[in-house]
Amino acid sequence: MVIVMQDRSRSKEETVDALHAVAAEMHDRMMRGEPPRMTLPVRSKKNIAFDEKLNVYKYGSKKTIRDATSLGSAHQLLRALHVTEFMEDMIESKKSSTLREMYYISEGWGYGKFSSQNESNNLAEDLEIVTGCLREDFKLRPEEDGARIIGNLTFQERNRRGEWMRINCRDDVGDSGYGVPYNVESEKLQLVEHDIDFMMAIETGGMFDRLVENGFDELARCGLIHLKGQPARSTRRVMKRINEEWGIPIVVFTDADPWSFRIFASIAYGAIKTAHISEYLATPSAVYLGIESGDIEAYDLPSDELTPRDIEALNAEKSDPRFQSQEWIDQIDLMLDLGKKAEQQSLAKYGLDFVTDTYLPEKLQQKLGLVIG
Amino acid sequence: MDKAQRIASKQKQISISEFFEKNKHFLGFDTHQRAIITAVKEAVDNSLDACEEGRILPEIHVEIKRLEGDRLELVTQDNGPGIPRDSIANVFGKFLLGSRFHAIRQTRGQQGIGITGVVMYAQLTTGSTTTVLSKIETESTAVKVDLALDTKNNRALRSNEDRIPLEEWFEESGMESLHGLRIKTVMAAKYQRGRQSVHQYLRMTSIVNPHATIKLTVIGKDGEVIDEGEWIRTTKILPRPVVEIRPHPHGMQFGTLQRMLKNTKERNVKSFLRKEFEKVSPLVSKKILEHAEIDEKRRPSGLSVEGIQNLLSAFMAVKIQSPPTDCLSPIEDLLIKKGLEKAIDSRYAATVTRTPTVSQGNPFQVEVGLVFGGDLPSDGSVEILRFANRVPLMYQQGGCLLTKGIESIDWRRYGLEQTGGKGVPKGPAAILVHLASTNVQFTSEAKEAVSENEEVLDELRRALFEVGRGLQGHRKRIGQREKSREKFDLINKILPEIASKSSSMLGRPEPDLSPIITKIMNAVFCEEAVIWDSKEKLARCSIKIYNYTARARAYTIIVKWPERDGVALVENERGGRKETRGLWAWRLDAINPGGMTEISFAVGGMSQGDWKEAEVFYRGNGDIIGSERIDESLLEEIRKQEGLKEVVEEFVDEPLTQSPMIEEVLEVDSSVEAGGEKEWRSDGKLF
Repeated sequence: MVIVMQDRSRSKEETVDALHAVAAEMHDRMMRGEPPRMTLPVRSKKNIAFDEKLNVYKYGSKKTIRDATSLGSAHQLLRALHVTEFMEDMIESKKSSTLREMYYISEGWGYGKFSSQNESNNLAEDLEIVTGCLREDFKLRPEEDGARIIGNLTFQERNRRGEWMRINCRDDVGDSGYGVPYNVESEKLQLVEHDIDFMMAIETGGMFDRLVENGFDELARCGLIHLKGQPARSTRRVMKRINEEWGIPIVVFTDADPWSFRIFASIAYGAIKTAHISEYLATPSAVYLGIESGDIEAYDLPSDELTPRDIEALNAEKSDPRFQSQEWIDQIDLMLDLGKKAEQQSLAKYGLDFVTDTYLPEKLQQKLGLVIG
Repeated sequence: MDKAQRIASKQKQISISEFFEKNKHFLGFDTHQRAIITAVKEAVDNSLDACEEGRILPEIHVEIKRLEGDRLELVTQDNGPGIPRDSIANVFGKFLLGSRFHAIRQTRGQQGIGITGVVMYAQLTTGSTTTVLSKIETESTAVKVDLALDTKNNRALRSNEDRIPLEEWFEESGMESLHGLRIKTVMAAKYQRGRQSVHQYLRMTSIVNPHATIKLTVIGKDGEVIDEGEWIRTTKILPRPVVEIRPHPHGMQFGTLQRMLKNTKERNVKSFLRKEFEKVSPLVSKKILEHAEIDEKRRPSGLSVEGIQNLLSAFMAVKIQSPPTDCLSPIEDLLIKKGLEKAIDSRYAATVTRTPTVSQGNPFQVEVGLVFGGDLPSDGSVEILRFANRVPLMYQQGGCLLTKGIESIDWRRYGLEQTGGKGVPKGPAAILVHLASTNVQFTSEAKEAVSENEEVLDELRRALFEVGRGLQGHRKRIGQREKSREKFDLINKILPEIASKSSSMLGRPEPDLSPIITKIMNAVFCEEAVIWDSKEKLARCSIKIYNYTARARAYTIIVKWPERDGVALVENERGGRKETRGLWAWRLDAINPGGMTEISFAVGGMSQGDWKEAEVFYRGNGDIIGSERIDESLLEEIRKQEGLKEVVEEFVDEPLTQSPMIEEVLEVDSSVEAGGEKEWRSDGKLF
C-alpha cells in the first residue's frame, strides 16, 4: 500500500509572495489609517479540534489579532518584517540557517531584536501558519537533531555533493544507527525497501540501546527509532512516511508519566504547537504500547511519587481535546489514583532481558496480535 | 536643713567612681562593645554642639586603634572653637552638678554623663590619662595637657602641660584650622561592626547633621584598616542657633519647683513667677497666686509643701499661653533630604517637618524622612533611623515610641509590604524619625527609647501619613511614566519602522502615521522632567502635554514646585499665575490632535538634588496620563490655611509657626567667643 503524500513544498516565488502577503496586511491597514496587524489562530489546547477528514487534530477557528496597539505586539509585527526580509535574502542567496542562528542574527535588528530563542521559534511557526508554508520553505533549520533508526530498512539520501546514497539501517550503520536528517522530504530522502513488520518508537536512549544490544530488531522483525524525548518534526515526519508509504504500523514505547502521554499524542494526534501541519506530521494509526499506568501494578514496577507538576500536567490533559477517549481518561485517572509514575528502565528489575523476552512480546500480542519468536 | 536636703547632700558625697561603677549600665559603659560607641558619641556630640554654638561648619575625625588586650585607643579631632586653657580641667574633669538645670533648650548633650565619663572610664579600665590638645583662635599656640581624675574631690589632675607651636598643631590635628580640639585616650573596649557600631552611629549622626563632615578610620593591631567611613557635608547651612527658654508652668513637677523656689534670687513669689517662667505675665502671675491663695509678697524660699502643691494646681487651672517653640532646632525637611542622600543611595526621598507643638509645657517637633528605591535592598525590613534632638538612638528599637508610630501605620496602601498591615514594613526603603524637644521623655535612664506620649505619637503618625502619601504618588508616577514611555517608544520608534519596512519590501508608498498614532494612543499624555542646570544653578522643569486624541483639548496645568523663602521662579516665559503657595498654574491654548505644548520654567535658590520630580495636575476635560486632576476642595482648604497663616503672622508678635531662620555661613564667623564650658557639660540631672 503506497499513499503518495501531496507535495507541500512551495516554489521560491510562492514562498516570497506568501510572506509579502503578511507585510501587505500590515501596510493596507496603515494606508487606511488603522494600526497594522497580523491575524493568527489561537495556539493553545483550547483551540485544537479533531479534523474528521484528515483524522488528526488541527487548529480551530479561534483567532487572535496581534495589532500594534501594545508595545509587545508592535515588536512582534516589526520582528515578522525583519524575519521576512531575512528569509527573502536566504531564498535569494540559496542559503539556510538554523533557528538559533536567526536568533543571533536578530541582534542587529534594533527594535526587531528577539529577546529569547523561544520568541524566534514561535515567530517562525507563526509565519508558517499565516503563510501556509513550511519552515523548510523559509530555509530555516531546526537546532535539535533528528532520531536514530536501527533495523532492516533501506533509505536513499542525497548527500552534500548531490549524490544519492543507499543506506541500510542494519548493515550500513554502527551501534548508534542511522541519523535522520532535518529534511526528510522526497527530494532529500527516499524510502527504498524494508523487511520489517512494524516500527517501534522508543522514548529514552537507555531503552533504545537495550533493545539494540538484545537484538530485538531482528528478533521481532522491526525497526527501532529513538525519539529523544519530545520528537522533532523530522522524526514524526519520517514515521508518518514509513507508515503511509510502506503501510507499516507504528508502536510507541515510553515511560509511564504525563509527559510520555504527550509524546504519544504529538505522534498520533498532532502537537499543539504544530497543529497547522498535523496532517503532515501525525500518524493517526500509531499505537501506545506502554508503559501504561496499569503496568506499574501489573508488573509491580519500581516507581516514583507523582510530583505536584506531574499532577498538574495530568489534570491539564484531562481538559485536552486529544485525551478525551475513554482509554486515555482511564489511563490518566489510574495514574492519579496510584499517585505513581515509572520509567521504561524500571523493567530491569526482572533482569536485562525481561523487556525483550517477556514485556514487549506480551504487549505486542495484546495490542497488535503479533506473536514474537 | 531639712531631711530631703540632707539626703541629697549625702548622696553627693558618694565617691564619683563608686557612682560610676554602680551605674555604668545606664551611662553606656556596660559592655566593651558599647563603651567605644558611648565614648565616640560623647566626644562627637560635644564637637557638634560646640561648632554649632561657634557657628563653625564642623569637621570631625574619629580614629580608633586596636591595642593588645582588648584595649582601644580613641582619638577624636574637631575644628571647633577649642577650649581655653583654664577651662579644660573643668570640662573634662568635673561632673558639673546641676549647673544649668533651669535653662531649657534642646541640646545633644542631654544623654549620658558627658565627656568626663569617658575620662573616668579610661582611667578606671586602663589607668591611662586622657590627652587634650586645644587650640583657640585668639592664641598663637595650642595647649596640650594630660588629665586624670581625682575622684574623691571631683576634680581633674593636670600633668605634662605644654604649649605647642602652630605648625605642630596643624600637623597633629591634620586640619588647617586655627581652632579645634583633639582628645586621645585608651580604654578597655572592643570594636565591632554592624547595626550597633561606631560606624552606624556616625552614619546616622551625619544624616541629621548634613552640615558636618565626619570621617572614621579604624586601624587593626597590624596597622591595617579594618573599617572606615567618610560622610561629606552636603550643605553649608548651619542649624539655627537654639534659643534658651525658661521652663513653662505646665511642665512643672514638685521637686523641680521646690528647687527653683529655693535657688531663686527673686525676693517675692510674684516676681519669681514672672522672671523664672515662660509666658507668665504680671496678670497671669497675679491670677496664679490668687488661685493658689498665696500672698504676692511671700518669699519664694518660704513656701510650705502645701503652698508648692497649691501653686502647681494653680498652674494647671489658670490659662497660660503655650511656650514659644523657637527654642527647638529641627533639621528641616530639605536638610533631612540632603542628609539622607549623603548616607543612602536611593531614588526617592520625601521629608516632612511638622510645625512645633506643645505637650505638658514642653515644646516638641516631629520630623520624618523616607527614602525609597535605588540601591536599598528590597527583601527584609525597612531600616528605621531614630533620632532624639539630633542624637541617634541605636538600642531598644522595639520599645521606642518612634518605632511604634511606624509600626502602627498600614504601609501596604503606600506600596510597602507589611504582614497584616502592622509592624515594621518591608521593602527597599528607610524611614527616619526625629523628635526634637526641650524635654525628650525616655523609657529609662539609658536614654535609648522614647517613652509613650499620645501627642507625640499623634504628630508622628500625621508626619508618616504625609510621607506615605508622597511615596504612593511617586510609585504611581513611576508606573504611569513607564506606561507612557512604552507608548512613546511604540509610536516614535516601532511604528515608523514597521511603516518603512513594509513599504520598501512591497515597493509601495509610505503611509501617513498620524491617524494611526491617534488610534493607538487615544489619550493625552504628560511628560515631566526636572534637570539641574549646574552652570546657572537652576532647577529646570519641563512639562510636555501631547494630545493624541482626535479632538482638540484645552487644559490648565498646575505644577507643584518647592516654593519657600529664598526659592523663586526665575524663568517662566508662559507667565501663568500663582494658584496658592507651592502651586503655579498655566492656562494653555487648545492643543490640536497630534499637537504638543511645552511649559518650561526654572527655579532658583536651590541646590542640586533638592528637587527631582514635579507633580503635575490639570483642570479641564479628559484625563491626562501622567498627571492628576486637581482636587478643588483640597486646594480650597490649602488656600484657607495659607490665608490664616498670613493673618496670624501679621497680628501676633510671636508666630505660631516657625519662620525658617536659616543662616548661610559662607565664611566661618570668628567673632564668637572661643570655648566656654556651657556646651561642654555633664548632665546634673543624674544626681
